[in-house]
Amino acid sequence: MATGTASIEPAPIRADELVQGTSLWKDAWFRLRKNHVALFGLYTFCTIALLCLVVPFFTGYTYEQTEISLKASAPMEPIFLRTEARKAGEPKKSFIALSNLEDEFLEKSQSDRKAIVAKIAEGEVYQEGRNTYQRSSQRHVFGTDPLGRDLLTRVLVGGRISLAVGFAATLVSVCIGVLWGATAGFAGGKIDTVMMRFADILYALPFTVIVILLMVMFGRNFILLFVAIGAVEWLNMARIVRGQIISLKNQEFIEAAISLGLPSHRILFRHLIPNVIGSIIIYATLTVPNVMLLEAVLSFLGLGVQPPLSSWGVLIDEGSRTMETSIWLLVCPAIFFSLTLFCLNFLGDGLRDALDPKASKD
Amino acid sequence: MLGFSRNDMKKLIALVALLIIGGLVLFGVGHTNSTKEGYSLTLQEANKNKILLLTVGSEPRTLDPQQAQGVTEHHIIMAMIEGLVAPSIDDQSKAVPGMADHWEHNDDYSVWTFHIGENRKWSNGDPVTAEDFVFSYKRMLTASFGAQYSENLFILKGAEDYYRGKITDFEQVGVKALDDHTLRIELVGPTPYLLSLVQHDSWLPVNPKAVLSFGKIDTRDSKWTSAENFVANGPFKMKSWRPNDVIEVVRNPLYWDAGNVKLNGINFYSIENSNTGERAFQAGQLHKTDQVPLDKVPYYRRRHPDLIRIDPYEGVYFYRINVARKPLDNPKVRLALNLAVDRDAIVKNILREDQRPATGYTPPGMGDYQPLNKIAYDPERARQLLAEAGYPHGKGFPKFTIHFNTVESHRAIAEAIQQMWKEELNIDVSLENQEWKVYLDTQNSKNYDLSRSGWIGDFMDPVTFLSMWTTGNGNNNTNWGNPKFDAFIEQAARTGDPQARLDILHRAEDLFLSEPPVVLVYWYTNAYLLEPSVQNWNPLVLGNHNYKYIDLKAEREPAK
Repeated sequence: MATGTASIEPAPIRADELVQGTSLWKDAWFRLRKNHVALFGLYTFCTIALLCLVVPFFTGYTYEQTEISLKASAPMEPIFLRTEARKAGEPKKSFIALSNLEDEFLEKSQSDRKAIVAKIAEGEVYQEGRNTYQRSSQRHVFGTDPLGRDLLTRVLVGGRISLAVGFAATLVSVCIGVLWGATAGFAGGKIDTVMMRFADILYALPFTVIVILLMVMFGRNFILLFVAIGAVEWLNMARIVRGQIISLKNQEFIEAAISLGLPSHRILFRHLIPNVIGSIIIYATLTVPNVMLLEAVLSFLGLGVQPPLSSWGVLIDEGSRTMETSIWLLVCPAIFFSLTLFCLNFLGDGLRDALDPKASKD
Repeated sequence: MLGFSRNDMKKLIALVALLIIGGLVLFGVGHTNSTKEGYSLTLQEANKNKILLLTVGSEPRTLDPQQAQGVTEHHIIMAMIEGLVAPSIDDQSKAVPGMADHWEHNDDYSVWTFHIGENRKWSNGDPVTAEDFVFSYKRMLTASFGAQYSENLFILKGAEDYYRGKITDFEQVGVKALDDHTLRIELVGPTPYLLSLVQHDSWLPVNPKAVLSFGKIDTRDSKWTSAENFVANGPFKMKSWRPNDVIEVVRNPLYWDAGNVKLNGINFYSIENSNTGERAFQAGQLHKTDQVPLDKVPYYRRRHPDLIRIDPYEGVYFYRINVARKPLDNPKVRLALNLAVDRDAIVKNILREDQRPATGYTPPGMGDYQPLNKIAYDPERARQLLAEAGYPHGKGFPKFTIHFNTVESHRAIAEAIQQMWKEELNIDVSLENQEWKVYLDTQNSKNYDLSRSGWIGDFMDPVTFLSMWTTGNGNNNTNWGNPKFDAFIEQAARTGDPQARLDILHRAEDLFLSEPPVVLVYWYTNAYLLEPSVQNWNPLVLGNHNYKYIDLKAEREPAK
């Protein structure tokens, strides 16, 4: 071995290879990235939210624009233009869907009707009295509702409302719930008893009654809807947080913090709440769909969003009434709604794994 | 129907329901159908036995004709209690003998004499006498009895004073039994439409013995209306009453015209949900439904025109305008709102039951009264009127609200009108739905801008539509009032000549529509499903069928 002794030198340590401390959030994101299902949920959810925000500007219709002669037309159903000549002024133009075209000629026999409809469908311009019928290039991707409004636009605009209500109300409920629960749990004793019994009393009141009372007191208002739902939804959050805080507050690190003389609010916000953040996030993701459902219930009672504005809950409710004749009115918003709920649940699940401080770092 | 059959559709629905079950359970629960399994009679059997199977909507609250308020109750009571006169087979402006065999009136229609037939009997065997009618009207006018329709009898001389306690002697009220079989009715003014009036529940007789054996004259909800105790004088008598299920009536052998009664019985099922009714009809469990679900109408019209019937119905659908609120106090604004509504489009596309766009308030079919043709769709003129009122292109027009009770079709119509006003007049309107009782309260307390309303005629005369608009009338509720209009109505009530009277009413309505406190929408029709085996079910504008004429043909198979 002419090469002499191999010197065993330690490889130089480069600065960037030093093990760096990573934050809770960085760890969490790292773990979340490995969870494909959760990631799918996150991306799909973001896509839906983006669609709701952007696409309504480009559909060419507004959520309130009616075309009542069109009625409930199916997705991508061929649409025809009827031009009605009038004695004075502009001829009146209206749109008719293929499935309703037959009704224009009800006085004719059934076979005649079918023949005329077939002719017009093939692109022929047909004249009947003062009316002229012809094909139109107009299309509605998701079809239209019974007032002839574009369902795609309505679903997406409704999504804005549903998501806004879902998140804003959840935020309200998280804020109140966490503060209330943490304070009660940390303080313990009489304060705890009084605070939690107060929550129990609210819990015993029927939800709709509280909301109706709030509406009567403050008037009907969109923002109030967030607050009203949030103000009712925080009770569970408060209970969960309180339970967690009680189990944490006797552990050594809190005793250490107390013996170091940290003030209570610092212990609460720096040491206790970050440790329950996992439960908070998990419960919050469950609250969002819950809140969306509540919003629909309220809308049905006439306390939620007012027409012509709508939300997914309202659209599904409307659709369920006509599902034997116009199933798309139910299916389209329901797909969006359930997809969002799935995504939020996957995401919540992933976040729980990711945020668990007891999980090993890998 | 998209090219797939009902069966495919059901499969699709099942699939979708499974997929989205999580999100939908909450909504689905609200619409569960209580299809009743208990129907024992199939249609063929019913046809053979001549039992008519009907639904009249929800469960009747009472079968005491003097306490009845709704159409549901009326349609059942009609089978068992017959008034002085009865509806004819096909023309509601005419009446046929009922308890009265014949009748006459003085020249100005203010004194009527009814001759009650000798062979008229109650189902307990008692003869029907003029005294029974006097007792019944006394009961109606007893304030402590609290009948909702007492006011209907105020056209009797002295009736209102008796009701209000100003006189205590019922002898002074204008109804007298001259003898057992002669009833004289004196009215406060000429009433040419009395024969139509006396067919209303509030004018029907009750058996004094039956009423008094279960309480006093003013006892409400007494047991005399239960199946065992009910005493009838009509073509049918009660056999059983199972609450929330069915009321069965059977042929009354003591009925004076029993030989001409064709049916052996009628079953009145209480089915509130129109979808449930439609399914029961499809399954061959009913001869007739009371309505057709809105979205099923096109299907029946295309595929089963033999099963669907659409009859004109004496009612008008409109929005009340609260004229005390600015800017709705301006008649030009109110007229503009009316002219900007494309009624034709609403009727043709949303309702689709051949409803007629309302061009006036009183619907057609009120005897010789010609409906007005004053309100039409004219957006050009509407814009002009709005500009004259100080709101060119809707500029500066305050936002106002339409109130309606929570029903799908009301919402659809309101949304359509909201959009029309937005497009034609550039006016912003918001919609607010309310639960039925809250909605009634809002309307009665006049705490609204616009409020959805409907009015169904009680009898065959335009007065039933117009008299509600006099200043301060309990049904007016718009703060609108015009002394000239009041004078017209007053004058009509004093006019004996039928044609002159209708002319005055015409002028009253014309005045009403020149500053309308309403937004007119449409005149009702009544759509229902009817088995072709049912005979003599003629279209009648008030919807009151004299069941003795109805017959069933045995041969036809149940509809599929």
